[in-house]
Amino acid sequence: MSSLRRYFAVRSVQTVMMLALVMTALFVLFRSMPGDFTAQMAASGANEEALQAIREQWHLDEPLYMQYYHYLANLVQGNLGESPVYRVDVWEFTKLRIFNTFILVAPAMTFTYVIGVAIGTVAGSNRGSAFERFGTVPIIGVGSSPAFFTAILLVIVFAVWLNLFPTSGMTSPGSTEGLAWWEPYLTRDFAAHYVLPFTAVVCRYLFIPTLIMRNSVVEVMGEDFTEYYRLTGLPTLTRLRHIAKHASIPVLTIYPVSLARALGGLVLIETVFNWPGIGFTLVEAVLARDYPTVQFVFFVVAAFVIVSNFVVDLVYGVIDPRIRLEG
Amino acid sequence: MSEPLLEVDDLTVQYETDDGMLTATSNASFSISEGEFFGLAGESGSGKSTLAKAIIGGLDDNGQVSSGTITYRGEEIQDLSDKELSQRIRWKEISWIPQGAMSSLDPLQRVSEQALEIGNVHTDLPDEEIRDKLKETFDIVGLQESRIDDYPHQFSGGMQQRAIIALALFLEPELVIADEPTTALDVIMQDQIFTYLDRLKDELDISLLLITHDISVIFESCDSVAIMHASQIAERGTTDAVHANPRHPYAFMFKEAFPDIREPKRELEVIEGHPPELMGEVDFCSFADRCPWAAPECREGAPPTESVEDGDPSHVTACVRKEEAYEMYRSDASPIDDGSGAQSIAQMGEVD
Repeated sequence: MSSLRRYFAVRSVQTVMMLALVMTALFVLFRSMPGDFTAQMAASGANEEALQAIREQWHLDEPLYMQYYHYLANLVQGNLGESPVYRVDVWEFTKLRIFNTFILVAPAMTFTYVIGVAIGTVAGSNRGSAFERFGTVPIIGVGSSPAFFTAILLVIVFAVWLNLFPTSGMTSPGSTEGLAWWEPYLTRDFAAHYVLPFTAVVCRYLFIPTLIMRNSVVEVMGEDFTEYYRLTGLPTLTRLRHIAKHASIPVLTIYPVSLARALGGLVLIETVFNWPGIGFTLVEAVLARDYPTVQFVFFVVAAFVIVSNFVVDLVYGVIDPRIRLEG
Repeated sequence: MSEPLLEVDDLTVQYETDDGMLTATSNASFSISEGEFFGLAGESGSGKSTLAKAIIGGLDDNGQVSSGTITYRGEEIQDLSDKELSQRIRWKEISWIPQGAMSSLDPLQRVSEQALEIGNVHTDLPDEEIRDKLKETFDIVGLQESRIDDYPHQFSGGMQQRAIIALALFLEPELVIADEPTTALDVIMQDQIFTYLDRLKDELDISLLLITHDISVIFESCDSVAIMHASQIAERGTTDAVHANPRHPYAFMFKEAFPDIREPKRELEVIEGHPPELMGEVDFCSFADRCPWAAPECREGAPPTESVEDGDPSHVTACVRKEEAYEMYRSDASPIDDGSGAQSIAQMGEVD
């Protein structure tokens, strides 16, 4: 199994390099933006001494390569600075919001993929059936409508008309007082608030794994080894399992891409549901030119996509022995 | 001859299509006795693979045996359920070597994993015993025993071919069906594979149903042959008899469409057109439209299968003009034949 270990090692190194690259790109991007960074950091009406203090604190009067060095050192140490808008530490301010987003997106997207793969497998292996031809139409229809539209529709039907779920927010007002930071996530109240945003994410992205899996299954069904499996008399379920394993490789490839898209698209869903996540935070921060926050949220999203790519690569290596050789 | 191992009698296989029932095999009959190598030859589209798949219940979902019987060791198996076939017939009795071995092995599974799956479906043997059987078979086909745990991509093309032959043999079947087993290989590999198959004949005493479009391969390695054209068996008999005295126009034209090392100067025959796709009942000779000697009676009812009186009791042909067609062909189409071809194949038979 040494080829598998070497493959993992190579991929790990590549992942760390990618993260470093993203850090650098963010630095270049933000330093090349127009406007005086110091002025943005300062409270309005700050005097020259206050500005000088900020320059010294963030090493803004030093040459660019020194700024880069301090930027990297700070980031690695987790020293993210202070939000000039909220006057609180960026990490303190964003950590719960990051968590809120991931607790929504990661399970919702995973669920989306599991369901999509199942539907795609059934559709692809029953090619030409009514289910294959018409079953995917509503999935594509919902996926093609704008996320906010689907979200608002869900709110109108399930929250306003049927009154099954709360319309927005993550918890009911006042319900979290005196609780530790993690305790609200275990309440029924949270679960009730969770259902609609979760459904909105699933509806928005379900078509991606469904369609890819369907096409992929149709392709694998035409392979010689599928025919051979049939002739060997393997039971249908066993054969379907083998087919799904092959067909899931393209779906896996697209998974991190979808995650990235979902994080981006989540801005709209979070806004409709007033979900205190990073999408919401990011929009506010951009509008307020809250550089440290924007920079950090960008980094978190990029890192998340890179790390999920890394995980998918590892899964590839386990599933497909041919990939390990490429190192 | 002893009781036949496999007997296919009057078998018609049809596929349901949007345009109606497509007849892939029409009233085909032949039998294979124990230890016999039987060749089934024909162009692509002649129905030979369909016929073979019907034997192990491997027809596509829209295919069905419409009439006729398949008898294995005295038991009719054409109506057995999928489960019964799996439990009793497939791989334990009749196994399959697929066309294109290189793409028939699942690239995501070790060869041993695939063998275990096949073994567990068809037998109650413990895993360790299945692995041992596979190792033994690997040895027979000339692969190292230790390589049963390799993935297919770790083998060369020829080794993959041998691995899939091992997968067909490791449960010790009586009959192996090989569907164009060497089509994708170069001639050297082809020769090597047939050397292995010949060895198996001696060592394991198996029977082989070899399906190929390359009739020269059949003449080289099979005891008997059936030549199929568009769903019908045109001619059948021992390889020697069919080689020496082909009577059906398709049989001798098909035979002469391949180069023969014994007749290096002979011009290759060309058969115009393609086998037709036939819908519904085939009550005419399917070769009539391509046959230079077709007569009106060729299209009036399927030609009866009749013995060719040449000393081989199994040699039969389905041609209403079997007496005169070959004479006409010889008189105007083949200036160089002096009858030595027939002699040399008889001698070859003795050497074998």
